Amino acid sequence: MKPDDPNIKWIPEPELGLAGKLYLPLVAQGLTTTWKHLTRSLSGDVVTVSYPDEEPKIANPLIYRGVHRLNKDEQGRVKCVACFLCSTACPAHCIDIIASESPWPDREKYPQSFNIDELRCIYCGMCEEACPVDAIELTSLYNLTGRSREEMIFDKEKLLSVYDATKDKEPMQSPALGGTAT
Amino acid sequence: MLEVLIKSAILIGGIMTAAAYFVLLERRMAAWVQDRIGPSRVGVPLSLFGFKDLRLWGLGQPAADGMKMILKEEYTPAHVDRRLYVLAPIAILAAAIATYAVIPFGSLIPSVRIGSTQSAGPIELTVAPGVDVGMIYVFALSSVAVYGVILGGWASNSKYSFLGGLRSSAQLIAYELPMGLGILGVVVAAGSLNLNTIIQQQVQSGWFVLVQPLGFVVFLIAAFAEAARLPFDLPECEQELIGGYHTEYSSMKLLLFLVAEFMHMITASFLIVILFFGGWHFPFITGRDPAEVTWATAILRVLVLHGKIFLVIVFFMWVRWSWPRFRFDQLMNLAWKIMLPLGLVNFVAIAVLEEFRHVYGPLGGSFAWTMGIIVAGWLLFVAAWLVTSLANPLVTDNRPRRDLAPLEVDSRI
Repeated sequence: MKPDDPNIKWIPEPELGLAGKLYLPLVAQGLTTTWKHLTRSLSGDVVTVSYPDEEPKIANPLIYRGVHRLNKDEQGRVKCVACFLCSTACPAHCIDIIASESPWPDREKYPQSFNIDELRCIYCGMCEEACPVDAIELTSLYNLTGRSREEMIFDKEKLLSVYDATKDKEPMQSPALGGTAT
Repeated sequence: MLEVLIKSAILIGGIMTAAAYFVLLERRMAAWVQDRIGPSRVGVPLSLFGFKDLRLWGLGQPAADGMKMILKEEYTPAHVDRRLYVLAPIAILAAAIATYAVIPFGSLIPSVRIGSTQSAGPIELTVAPGVDVGMIYVFALSSVAVYGVILGGWASNSKYSFLGGLRSSAQLIAYELPMGLGILGVVVAAGSLNLNTIIQQQVQSGWFVLVQPLGFVVFLIAAFAEAARLPFDLPECEQELIGGYHTEYSSMKLLLFLVAEFMHMITASFLIVILFFGGWHFPFITGRDPAEVTWATAILRVLVLHGKIFLVIVFFMWVRWSWPRFRFDQLMNLAWKIMLPLGLVNFVAIAVLEEFRHVYGPLGGSFAWTMGIIVAGWLLFVAAWLVTSLANPLVTDNRPRRDLAPLEVDSRI
């Protein structure tokens, strides 16, 4: 594009004010800004989280997307009805469900096995969105580690135990958050 | 001989350690300004012996940094001019260390006795005391340091390094002049180029920062530029030149460059304190006669001098995060259109004032005369600053001229 192109809109540079021309007021302004931050940091108000020593504060654990859990109903049964909506919605194909005839009269199917590969998962929360019975949810557990790939494939028992570990801290998601739990 | 060796050992050891710890301070200050904590963990690794680690507020960090630099792969690119490539970091560090030969790091200490040797008299805390051209020596060596930068940029045979070297040479040549003019005022007022004499003169007549604020500001800005510190760190700006002249260096050679850079900053702080803030002098507590010294005053003077230098270095680091970097044309405009005239005005005014005092003033000076000269200096500062700012020579329009017909080449693009 040439400088005389009619499509260029030329904007004149704004005139410097007196403070800008004298330069020193702006110098003082810059120093004041950094001084404020410096003193604030020295008084201990920093944004750094010294992670292994202190835990990061998660603003809202209910909408954080960490490790999955499989919810249980009031009778302690798994809530999942093996509808495969979550594994269909999953963009990473990390959910593997084997369904079978339900032993309970209130539903047709239940998951005989329910495996999530936590290493494949991208923690997008689509499974949580897709679930019609609020059986699968993402918790606020963020520090997931393991010593082998096999260990990181969470089966049904492990996912249910995540529920037991987190149910007091993070109740099942309310309708206000878009959940259908009653 | 022994005396000189001991003094240089103390000085070099002290300066090197100081440079290492100033790197830590710089990193922590950077962190604090950005609301972070900074390196605060490296201490004594007692966990090797089964105890809890001692963190010591990160005071082990310089050792860890040094180890890292030493253990890194020393990679020399195939396309460099090998001899100059090796020479550059040595030249820059040698020049940076040699500067300290004439810079006093204290006043005097009383005569000491080591074994059967008794020193001749009170010992001056300067490696080479009594150099009457001290200032010129410092200047000459700080110019030699530019060779290190230019050699590094040239020998690296890389575009970024070369641009860094070019910028550095232009910048340092431009700012040597205002720096020299800033010092000339001090030299005229003190009547000597010897740094110790300059300090003694300030003990008698008051710190030169009070008398010559204009010279101080010119010298301060030029010192920032000479030390290549922000806002004048164009030779090595990370964002544009990926480190500038030391892009192609690694391991210990890089470390030599970085240490030399820090030593330039420390030298600049020494000069600012010695030339304008009275060196080791502090009213009422350090005594007025330099030769009249006990161990208590000697130590006090060393502490005062280094306390002042510490504060100046903290100012250097504080400034680093406060203002954005200058563009290169702005840098040159500032040097040639503002600093040089201001330096000249300062020099002429100080020369006139000094002559006036010599001819008309009472012998030995009086309070009224001192105050008069201080007031004159400040009036000059305000007037000169107002004139240069309102004339505003810094504003330049870099956009293409629209009133000219585009060139043939231009229209073909």
